[in-house]
Amino acid sequence: MKRRSFIKSMMAVSAVAVTPVALMAKEEAKAKKKGPNDLAFEAAVKAITSGKEVKDSEKIKLTVPEIAENGAVVPVKVEVDHPMEEANYVKAIHVLNTKNGNTRCVDVMLTPANGKGYFATRVKLGGTQEVVALVELSDGTFIKAGKSVKVTIGGCG
Amino acid sequence: MAEAEARKSMIKIKPKKFKTGDIVKVDFIVIHPMDTGLSKDKKTGQIKPAHYIDNITFSFDGKPFTTMKVWETVSTNPYFSVNFKVPGKGKITVDYTDNTGEKNSKSKKLKPKD
Repeated sequence: MKRRSFIKSMMAVSAVAVTPVALMAKEEAKAKKKGPNDLAFEAAVKAITSGKEVKDSEKIKLTVPEIAENGAVVPVKVEVDHPMEEANYVKAIHVLNTKNGNTRCVDVMLTPANGKGYFATRVKLGGTQEVVALVELSDGTFIKAGKSVKVTIGGCG
Repeated sequence: MAEAEARKSMIKIKPKKFKTGDIVKVDFIVIHPMDTGLSKDKKTGQIKPAHYIDNITFSFDGKPFTTMKVWETVSTNPYFSVNFKVPGKGKITVDYTDNTGEKNSKSKKLKPKD
């Protein structure tokens, strides 16, 4: 009995001693883990729109998987139902996420020569979050659409 | 840069048969590590420096029609797809640079069947 209780107490002590250190190390690692251009979502949106109003729109068809098994490769497809004429066209498609270190993925500047507001790529997602397509039209207005993606294995480092 | 010369890339036009005035898909794929600057090298344990493509320009006969600004959040061996309305015979060129200053380009001829 003595031996058993001794082992138990030792285990308790070691558990107490180890956890705070481990936690601290984890927090330190989290604090250090910063990419070259970290940007929060609100700041990223502000940098793109420079404070203009952004409306949710059904014109944008955003195709992302509901559940992504591998966060390192998440296919994103954006289609904008808008004419592509000389005076009235889709000027830019910005693909953003909401929770990665850097929330900006790609900015695509389109011209009427494209014929259609379409863009597809693959992005990395660090965890379950939302993918947002922010579209700028040639008259200077912004519209957006977002969809959440459930990520089972994160893809950022 | 020796590494830059070895970088593989590919332009695909879909569908294969098209006419002048058709809207085609232009897919661009490049073999690139797209390191975020966060992950560790499995062999050495050192943190790999950030290395990602940051600018891409699609042009047709020297006139750019789509430009992209890319961040490290795009997947390894990235794939970019845009639409293009074929104005006639010509050459599509994709120029890309990365954050270390590497410059590369790839082109493909457009041959519409009328």
